[in-house]
Amino acid sequence: MIDARNIILETGSLAAEGTYNPGRPPASIKRTPSGVDGLTTEHLIINMGPQHPSTHGVLRLVIEVDGEEIVAAETSLGYLHRGIEKLAESRRYEQLGTLMDRGDYVSGIHGEQAVALAVERMLEIEVPAKARYIRTLMAEITRIASHLVWFGTFGLDTGAMGQFLYAVRDREVLLDILETVSGQRMMFNYVRPGGVVADLPVGIDAMIRSFCDGFDGYLEEHHDLLGGNEIFQHRVKGVGAIPRDTALAFGLTGANLRATGIGFDVRRDRPYDAYPELEFDVPVGTIGDAWDRYMVRMEEMRQALRMIRQCLDGMPEGEHTARVPKVLRVPEGEIYAATESSRGETGVHIIADGSVNPARFHYRSGSLYACQVLEEILPGHLLADAVMIVGSLDIMLGEVDR
Amino acid sequence: MWGSGLIKGMRITMRNMLRGPITLKYPYERYELPERARWSVAPTFDAEGNHKCTACMSCVRVCPDHILDLQMTVAEDKSKHIDIFRYELGACMMCGLCVEACPFDAIHMSHDYELAVTAPEDLTYDLLTDTAAARPKREPRPAGAGSTPETEKEADDA
Amino acid sequence: MSPLLVALLRILAALGLMLFNGVILIWMLRRVLGHLHLRYGPIHNGWQGLLQTPYDVLKLLTKEDVTPSAVDRILFALAPAVVFTPSLLAYAALPFSGTWKITALDTGLLFTFAALSIVPIGILMAGWASANKWSLLGGMRSAAQQIAYEVPLLLSVLPIVMFAGTMNLGTIVEAQSGTWLGFIPRWNILFPGFWPTFVLFWIAGLVELNATPFDMSEAESELVAGFASEYSAMKFGLLFLSEFSNQFVISALGVTLFFGGWMLPWVPVELVAPFAPFIFMFKVYLGIFVIMWIRGTFPRVRIDQLMQVGWKWLIPINLAWIIVFGTVWKLFTLGQGVS
Repeated sequence: MIDARNIILETGSLAAEGTYNPGRPPASIKRTPSGVDGLTTEHLIINMGPQHPSTHGVLRLVIEVDGEEIVAAETSLGYLHRGIEKLAESRRYEQLGTLMDRGDYVSGIHGEQAVALAVERMLEIEVPAKARYIRTLMAEITRIASHLVWFGTFGLDTGAMGQFLYAVRDREVLLDILETVSGQRMMFNYVRPGGVVADLPVGIDAMIRSFCDGFDGYLEEHHDLLGGNEIFQHRVKGVGAIPRDTALAFGLTGANLRATGIGFDVRRDRPYDAYPELEFDVPVGTIGDAWDRYMVRMEEMRQALRMIRQCLDGMPEGEHTARVPKVLRVPEGEIYAATESSRGETGVHIIADGSVNPARFHYRSGSLYACQVLEEILPGHLLADAVMIVGSLDIMLGEVDR
Repeated sequence: MWGSGLIKGMRITMRNMLRGPITLKYPYERYELPERARWSVAPTFDAEGNHKCTACMSCVRVCPDHILDLQMTVAEDKSKHIDIFRYELGACMMCGLCVEACPFDAIHMSHDYELAVTAPEDLTYDLLTDTAAARPKREPRPAGAGSTPETEKEADDA
Repeated sequence: MSPLLVALLRILAALGLMLFNGVILIWMLRRVLGHLHLRYGPIHNGWQGLLQTPYDVLKLLTKEDVTPSAVDRILFALAPAVVFTPSLLAYAALPFSGTWKITALDTGLLFTFAALSIVPIGILMAGWASANKWSLLGGMRSAAQQIAYEVPLLLSVLPIVMFAGTMNLGTIVEAQSGTWLGFIPRWNILFPGFWPTFVLFWIAGLVELNATPFDMSEAESELVAGFASEYSAMKFGLLFLSEFSNQFVISALGVTLFFGGWMLPWVPVELVAPFAPFIFMFKVYLGIFVIMWIRGTFPRVRIDQLMQVGWKWLIPINLAWIIVFGTVWKLFTLGQGVS
């Protein structure tokens, strides 16, 4: 007969199991007399994921817990690894977009844009103005769609179910727009080196404008429902604060970095496509806790809405793509090109050897570093906070594991 | 006052409740797909009901996952007869590269998304002869005289 | 009929009511949450989806009851019973009308709270016996929260007991008949002195129910199903049936203590008597609707924040309010010459 007590409370630290080898070892299992009749306590090692409602994919967190307080944490990645970087070595350059779509699958346009920028820069293709505006328009629409997913799931992690479906309602309109333009709701395959596949269809302008007019009010409603809720504020304020030097040391980008106070935005500092011609603000936080990240992302949605209106108003005439050969052959060289995706800096590093396939393809994603920083900031928080922190960092396992 | 946000939140959910549901009761109600929606690949037939494929192999070469395969026999008068045009629907990611590559408009993306079958072997079709692939259940609106132009450029040309 | 037979029939009626409640409340929860979330709930099976819950109950009855090998077998099997039985007990003192009650207890209020306070033991048993760290966390959280809030729950209704002079729920309801000044019904909720009481009762009641925003023990997004993760089939059904039945009991208590029980405002008691049970049930379901509305809206509170609020805020506020109310009430009755 198995003694249930031995199953629930394991003895031995993670290091003793032989499967855990971090740079910084966790606090070892302590048997400390707690002062009440000399009772000893032990730490519990809990496995959060990979099948878990709140880890936004298949993220595995091994957490060492003292009661409810986290003492150490380890992230275990790779459950969604599909070999995108290796597959890219057997794809041609115009087919790489299909792979990038499946990295960060919620904001696919940004990945496709990164590849397109890299190839255009290597081949010195000049993209016509209309194509640049269309790409920027689609990118900002995708940014709002991705932030709505983050918003919905963040609230769902806290237990509020309502605003997840309201966010989905708005996202459905955006996905309809994207389907009308590109043909699919998620795996667009729309942005190619040289421009985009097809011009904007008739009537899309009215469709996008009607969404924008409605979304102004809906965004405020979302913010009132979740951010205005005092219970949510108590859960989120002061939780998961990342100091600036930690954020820089771990390579965080995007809203996670801007929430700590460092205002680096690839759209403004290393602009591409139509961003030099648009007017937008970059929201920056102060202490980098979950509340700051929440506010930065809500403000980013408002700024994206502003940019969409500017793109529609200023859409130039012209071709939707430059004249590029059907089969792209890139001369020997190496390039790194980055875009500001909704999760940080999405970049591609391509080493070309003169053939139609890249020799080496590296996909830099923003969520990987957010996963790494979890090990640094989780200790000291409670178990319920772990869920909040993972949710506030907006991790997408597709681009972490590739 | 502490708690005003809570009351406001409850008003918002009640307001949304009174707005009514936004869901479609599928399968009794179906969604109208936009023109460019990409679902399974289907051949385009001309007015006499013949397919337009000339076995140029452009689509076969461009498919990223090597789903299309064409086997043909060349007769003495150099005409090509297509034996098998294999299309693995189960692996197709509906990227549309094959349709873009075809110079003869012989294939198009249909709007058929109800593609589920009970055995995985049934997902490999012959594109030109198998009814399930050749005659999909839903098609985009045929573009003809009087249909709305697709892009503004076409509207200007017309 | 012999008193034993009458008592037995009353118990069966309570059991029947509990099961009927479970069926209706599960359907109501799914429909209400669905419409709050811009979708339909179950609408296909039966008229408006009412047959959905019987089908689900049938499914639960016929499912395989999986018992993991590492569990503590006796506790694992007993826990749903320990959770279910007190929920049934708590129906005993509720007044459905002037004459319809399972039993007329002079300490009805105290008895109901005492019955409900056995439920945390069952939840702790369920959490401990499942050889699962997440269930253990859920069970521990639930034990801490529910035991901590027993005290505020009981303290919060003491002003009403002082006002009515008895703990008999039937008498408390009847004390709310009639009007003040000729047009304001004497319902306790309309008396400003009871507004803090109502808020405190509501908060403590939601905590006792494991209802959002206080459902940390079964927090879906953190602990899957918390203490009930390892249960399947009918044991799971019993655990959740008891949760819905607790919702009914707390809502019924709220209606009894604050909203006039089975009475209608301004309508004399004799006219209401034949319809009293239906009025009572309607009011209780309205209260449950508000609980579900809150469930679909609010996020969850963190466990340590909840414990802080309970021990550091609610108990002192409750004690202070009892002292204030008691002093004012005593002075009022002395001034009126009523002993």
